[in-house]
Amino acid sequence: METKHSAWEKIRWTWQPASEREAGDSVVRNFLLHWFPAKVTRASLSWNYSFWLGTVSAILFTILTITGVVLMFLYVPSVERAYLSIKDLEYAVTFGWFIRGLHRISAHLMVAVVFLHMIRVFLTAAYRNTLAAGQNRPLNWIVGVLLLLATLLLSFTGYLLPWDQLAYWAITVGTNIASAAPVAGEPIRFLLLGGHTIDQSALIRFYVLHCFFLPLVVLLLFSYHMWRVRKDGGLACVDHLAISQKAVSTAPIRSKTYSLLGITSGSSVHVETALVAEDELTVQSSPNLTRRLLMVAMVTVAAAALLAFLVPAPLEEPANASVTPNPAKAPWYFLWLQELVTDTTFRIGGITINGALVGGVLLPALLVLWLVILPYVDSSPISTVGTWWAAERRKHSLIFLIVILAILVLTVVGTFMRGPYWNFYWPWETWPEMPRRF
Amino acid sequence: MWSRKPVREEGTPREDATPSATGRDAAQPASRRAFLGRLGLGAVLVGLAGQVYVLLRSLFPNLLYERPERFKIGPPGQFSEGARFLEGERVFILRERNTFHAISAVCTHLGCTVKMERLNQVKKVQAGGREFEEQFEFRCPCHGSKYYGDGANYAGPAPKPLAHYRLEMSPDDGQLVVDMSQVTDRDFRLTV
Repeated sequence: METKHSAWEKIRWTWQPASEREAGDSVVRNFLLHWFPAKVTRASLSWNYSFWLGTVSAILFTILTITGVVLMFLYVPSVERAYLSIKDLEYAVTFGWFIRGLHRISAHLMVAVVFLHMIRVFLTAAYRNTLAAGQNRPLNWIVGVLLLLATLLLSFTGYLLPWDQLAYWAITVGTNIASAAPVAGEPIRFLLLGGHTIDQSALIRFYVLHCFFLPLVVLLLFSYHMWRVRKDGGLACVDHLAISQKAVSTAPIRSKTYSLLGITSGSSVHVETALVAEDELTVQSSPNLTRRLLMVAMVTVAAAALLAFLVPAPLEEPANASVTPNPAKAPWYFLWLQELVTDTTFRIGGITINGALVGGVLLPALLVLWLVILPYVDSSPISTVGTWWAAERRKHSLIFLIVILAILVLTVVGTFMRGPYWNFYWPWETWPEMPRRF
Repeated sequence: MWSRKPVREEGTPREDATPSATGRDAAQPASRRAFLGRLGLGAVLVGLAGQVYVLLRSLFPNLLYERPERFKIGPPGQFSEGARFLEGERVFILRERNTFHAISAVCTHLGCTVKMERLNQVKKVQAGGREFEEQFEFRCPCHGSKYYGDGANYAGPAPKPLAHYRLEMSPDDGQLVVDMSQVTDRDFRLTV
């Protein structure tokens, strides 16, 4: 490698390597690139296999971290001043409305994108192990489910902070759902609120959860998630290439001391070489992967910024314990849960089971449990791993999509067809006039 | 990985010098080193559990600065016939001639504040084996629960009736006192 003189050249060469050798070196030597493999398959770079949804959610998380830190300088987590500091952000701080809007819209996008990422991984059976040694994709799927839950909790704790009506009634309903859980429910509510009523101690707890604890959890889980992706041999479409290739080619050569695609055999210092014919199917990560990564980052930032311009972040009236807004609606991604807790109070003989327990605790817990065991009960052939709409997996896809569809239908009903007193109205029906107060 | 082989001290007599063919390590008496190792690990774990307990326990407050559950609301004369909503306390005070009773405004489903809906005409209701006439009902904006005028739930996800609280007369200044720590049955009335 020729000597680089200026600092600019030193920075530039890793991103624009002049040779194959430099491209490999850059990944090993550059701190920002070290978590990539030296080479990637063309298949995993494709736009329409993964839709880069995991990458998009990581970029959204970065936007949220950066805007969040700025918001932390401007927001005061006290019940007297929280609402006013958000109002100042909206009307008095230069670009405050934009930073808050970008933070909010990125959070909404992140919920949606993480959810879509999960659907993509399921539909391509990418949560399953195939031939390579040391794979544990089911574990990474579970980490993904935890990341989805952490994303939802981050959103929940986030929209409480303005201390407006949306915030107040969301904490009321949210913590009452928690208290409906058997045995541990009441202590959990007490711990979350730091008391029995929603006041300063509740606000500071949700603030710390939102700004420190949950982001840390996401960061740790995300790091492990990425490490596992490397450890499992990259995206599942690589496995598909390897399997379809194995049928015709020879046994893999066990000669390399490290693997370019990161598939280790685990038993000795010798590791199995990549399962695919490297020269035909792979390209150097730098600049092929880095270039696409930067493109995805730019598009994501641009789209989020544009949406932040177009969709203003709402601020409701200040929190008021005596008046519940009519109707009181959660953000769209929790409306299916609001529908569930509405529709699941059962009366069996003399016993009434609260919908808070059935729809708020049991059904969501079952749903998470179902997601967790999915990779362990999926018995479709491994040739389907890493492919979209495999014929042998039609039944699996159908069941999964029905569950997703049910959640979407409940979300749509909650968003567009619920009016005052949570009554059902068709979208074209006008809501009756309701008195603002008692 | 750590070696699982039992370490034998020099000159220490071993009871079973010949390991059994099935290799039942667990059945062998632990060496002193293994025992001390486990003891040390145990001590570390107990210490950690103690620290975790300390941190978590501190988050359960011992002292709460919350409004009292028993409070004065003013002399009975201030309350006119019908219902009045006490905003801060989320409770309805209802007066029928010289009797008073208090109904909670907190929905029993998930804790939203119910609204009182005045009915256009008096409605005859049969609930809980009784028949009565009512002029208002309670309805919850969050999930659509409905309650009769006496607080009995009849539609929506609410699992039980709205709470009725004990009312008293303060002996010192004759004010009405609401005691939200004491839930009474729905027939409770304070006569003044």
